[in-house]
Amino acid sequence: MTSNLLWLTPLLPLVLGLTMLLVRDRRVLAALDVGGSVAVLGLALAIARRVGETGPVSALGVLRADDVAVVFLLLVGLLAAVVSIATVGWMRDAVARGEMREDRLHYYHALVNGFVATMLVTVLADNLGILWIAMEGTTITSALLVGFHGDKHGLEAAWKYIIVTTIGISFGLFGTVLVYGAAAHAQGGVFEGAMNWSSIVAVATKLDPGIIRIGFIFVVVGYGTKAGLAPVHMWLPDAHSQAPTPVSALLSGALIKCALFGIIRFHTIASGACGPAFSQNLLLVFGLISVVVATPFILVQHDLKRLLGYHSVEHVGIIALGLGFGGVVGTYGALLHVINHGVTKALVFLVAGDAIGRYGTRDMRDMKGFLAIAPLAGTLLLMGAFSLAGTPPFSIFVSELLVIKAGLASGRFASVAVFLVMVVIIFAGLVHHVGQMVFGTAPASADRARESRTQLLGMAALAAVMVLLGLWIPLPLDRLLTHATEIILG
Amino acid sequence: MTAEFATRLIDLLGALLLFTMLVILASGRLFRSIYAVAAQAVFLGIAGAVLGAATGNVDLWIIAGVTIVVKAILLPWLLLRVVRKIQIRREIEPVFPINGTLVVAAGIVVLAFHLTASLGPVRQAITGNALPVGIALILMGVLVMATRRKALVQMVGLFASENGIFFTAMAVSQGMPLIIEIGVILDVVLGALVMGILVLRVRSSVNDADIADLEGLKG
Amino acid sequence: MDATAQIGRTLAQAALLLVLGPLVTGFIQKLKARLQCRRGASVLQPYRDLAKLLRKDTVQSNSASPFFRAIPVLVLAATLTTTAMLPVLWVPAPAAAPLGDAILLLALLALARFLLAIGALDAGGAFGGMGASREMTVGLLVEPALMMAVFSVAVAGGTTNLGELAARRLTLPALAWQAPDLLALFAVLILAIAETGRIPVDNPDTHLELTMLHEGMLLEHSGRGLACIALATHVKQLVILSLVAALFFPPGLARGLGAGELALACGAFAAKVLLLATFLGVVESSYAKLRLFRVPQFLGIGLVCAFLALALRVL
Repeated sequence: MTSNLLWLTPLLPLVLGLTMLLVRDRRVLAALDVGGSVAVLGLALAIARRVGETGPVSALGVLRADDVAVVFLLLVGLLAAVVSIATVGWMRDAVARGEMREDRLHYYHALVNGFVATMLVTVLADNLGILWIAMEGTTITSALLVGFHGDKHGLEAAWKYIIVTTIGISFGLFGTVLVYGAAAHAQGGVFEGAMNWSSIVAVATKLDPGIIRIGFIFVVVGYGTKAGLAPVHMWLPDAHSQAPTPVSALLSGALIKCALFGIIRFHTIASGACGPAFSQNLLLVFGLISVVVATPFILVQHDLKRLLGYHSVEHVGIIALGLGFGGVVGTYGALLHVINHGVTKALVFLVAGDAIGRYGTRDMRDMKGFLAIAPLAGTLLLMGAFSLAGTPPFSIFVSELLVIKAGLASGRFASVAVFLVMVVIIFAGLVHHVGQMVFGTAPASADRARESRTQLLGMAALAAVMVLLGLWIPLPLDRLLTHATEIILG
Repeated sequence: MTAEFATRLIDLLGALLLFTMLVILASGRLFRSIYAVAAQAVFLGIAGAVLGAATGNVDLWIIAGVTIVVKAILLPWLLLRVVRKIQIRREIEPVFPINGTLVVAAGIVVLAFHLTASLGPVRQAITGNALPVGIALILMGVLVMATRRKALVQMVGLFASENGIFFTAMAVSQGMPLIIEIGVILDVVLGALVMGILVLRVRSSVNDADIADLEGLKG
Repeated sequence: MDATAQIGRTLAQAALLLVLGPLVTGFIQKLKARLQCRRGASVLQPYRDLAKLLRKDTVQSNSASPFFRAIPVLVLAATLTTTAMLPVLWVPAPAAAPLGDAILLLALLALARFLLAIGALDAGGAFGGMGASREMTVGLLVEPALMMAVFSVAVAGGTTNLGELAARRLTLPALAWQAPDLLALFAVLILAIAETGRIPVDNPDTHLELTMLHEGMLLEHSGRGLACIALATHVKQLVILSLVAALFFPPGLARGLGAGELALACGAFAAKVLLLATFLGVVESSYAKLRLFRVPQFLGIGLVCAFLALALRVL
């Protein structure tokens, strides 16, 4: 029964997406979209429940859900559902403003559903080849979404996105091939299952460390490109700023986490084969570079969505730092940060989309008095921004604290110091930018209409999760994360 | 076919792949790059057939056939079609002197061979020099993409890179599972189609610009 | 083997290459003509040109020094000497160890190039100087690359003596090629185009000032001097082709002096040279001359291939 759920979950949005190609009516499309994604969230919860009760489930020999997968599965499911709810209102406004053409909406919805389906396959894959194929599938579907507006900048961003991530991802494939070769060798020349993560981990200690090292470097560079780790992040701010807002939310909230999922899978293998130090150090270096590189760009940024894009680079860096510091606390913190950042970033992107619609610009210097013209959304933006900057009582504070704690415990004081300095600078920069935008008097041209209900509903749901996780981690989630941490640490 | 003979043939095919890669790197003309990458795919197909004959694995024959059909015929045809449709200048303007690129390429190959020479017994699981040749091809493909400002040449570099991966993947003892290999090729084709669409759309919407030349997004 | 026989063989071989050199040029010209749908001159045309030149008086620029007269003879001598190191029909080379090896062969070719360039400068003509400077630029890329390619094969054989090298390769099974051999072959084929002064590097048919390299250096020579240099050019072309054949396609070389064996060796030699000459002719017909600043790019492929051939052999 549960094993059927595994392949039904990605199949549902895929079939739905294909069906949508035949539908022309906006309302029907929206209903299908919301219904489908809520159903996906339901399926994800069912899988999570089952995994929590009876342990890992696998299906078809290539799909497998363990606790690590469930963490990411829940995130993708939640964001898909919330974003599709918020899309309803956003889409109506966007069509009214002429940003989206009504006769092309079915393509948009079909692509988004295909995108979600590929992400679901990514996190449910046990076979590392399937993981790669699905990851490349996310690139193909989302590249078309990034360039969906069809203007010069959108197409430029889409081109940069597809070319950089495809070449990056092909590094990941090469790493996969090397790990496969090593696993087949370690299994004594047996190829059956040598590409399945679960069976590779079983022989991890027997893998040849030399080749795994090369393979892991290729994987980190490859999937790291997709995850937006600096210095291979150059596509990220462009794609995040040019994509339609709901797509930006999915890219930043879910997609780059899926790429991290790939890295985490190989991290476990590499830790088993050549000891944890090698992969931890590599992730630590990438994490630190990401945090440091993102900081100056955040300070000087005026484009709201680019600002959020660079924030994603910073937070992916923090997750990599958590994995790099290692230990139970660091890994737990990294996983918690995956959820927290996904939820918060999606929230902020949705609010930002609303604000951009109201002011007709993405330049934060021309956006003033957001709180006055949209009190609810303004409040949510403030909350989201403070959470992103890492202030209590919001959720990101908790996970960042855990990462720092792990860093101190592992004795890497210099890395922690650099990290703290950067976080403080980013805090100042972000508060400056958002304060400028939220307070003051709004220009007369700004749209003062009430927020649409569906958009508010989506944002409020995310904000609730964000605040809740800041105050209290529910027991099932804690158990899930603890199990996942155990699996990652082997 | 004995394993030793197959290893020798794979080594020779690896040398051919490296040579075609150098031709792509040094080429000043778009057509020549496209033909060279098609030739690479043919060599790749031959490598698949050789390995198939050596290991008796039928999957490898299928993969070899699919590789030749897709990477030696379909993708070059797609590229040539786009070239004809947008009628771009055929000369490639490098952003970095070609001779400098060639020197870097030589360094890459030496590095790849040096790196893998130190590997232990697992080298036995990979036929011949397929591992260093694969690494070298991937990195040289990136080099092509980094040093050329033309969308189609960047695609050629990408395909060449992927050829390197396929070469290594085939030589990993018996090749990857068929289903995975087919999925990967499907992704490659779809990705190429999307890239073609993007190139054509930029051509029609932004007067005659090359997509790789756009530099509106910065900072 | 006694010294007299050895000298006899060496001289016979030199004479063979000297006589056949113009024929190869004639063959390539004829092939090109046919590929361009022309009837073309007879394959014997180069001999007729030489004969005509030999009958003519020599005219010399006023600014040229006496040394200028010696240049053509020296160039021809240097080029002819290289034939002594090549296994053309027999292995080991007619003159085994004492006469020299691949390094000396390459050095003599470089010496001939140097003399030619010096001569061109000596005459003081503008085109001569230009041709000389271009020729040396190309030489700068070709010579080290050729050396690396030859060394790559030499490292595998454990000797730089071309005769012994060919003999060792003969004992290997037919398909004993390794990856570096293939790369070295590609390198040598690319470099052979430059060394024989053919399109796309140089154009042997033209005297158009802006495109020529080699021909530019010959402008000031005339009569018998020009005949010597032209002959040297023909011989050098054949030497390069024989070098490629000896390094990469040794099968067919005779070990003894039996009539049957010798006939076979002659046939094999003719076939190899014809094949390589066809390659040159086809390349020349299918490509356009490269602009001068594109030439280093083209030769760069050869240089990198040769470097890799050597590096992979050592690694």
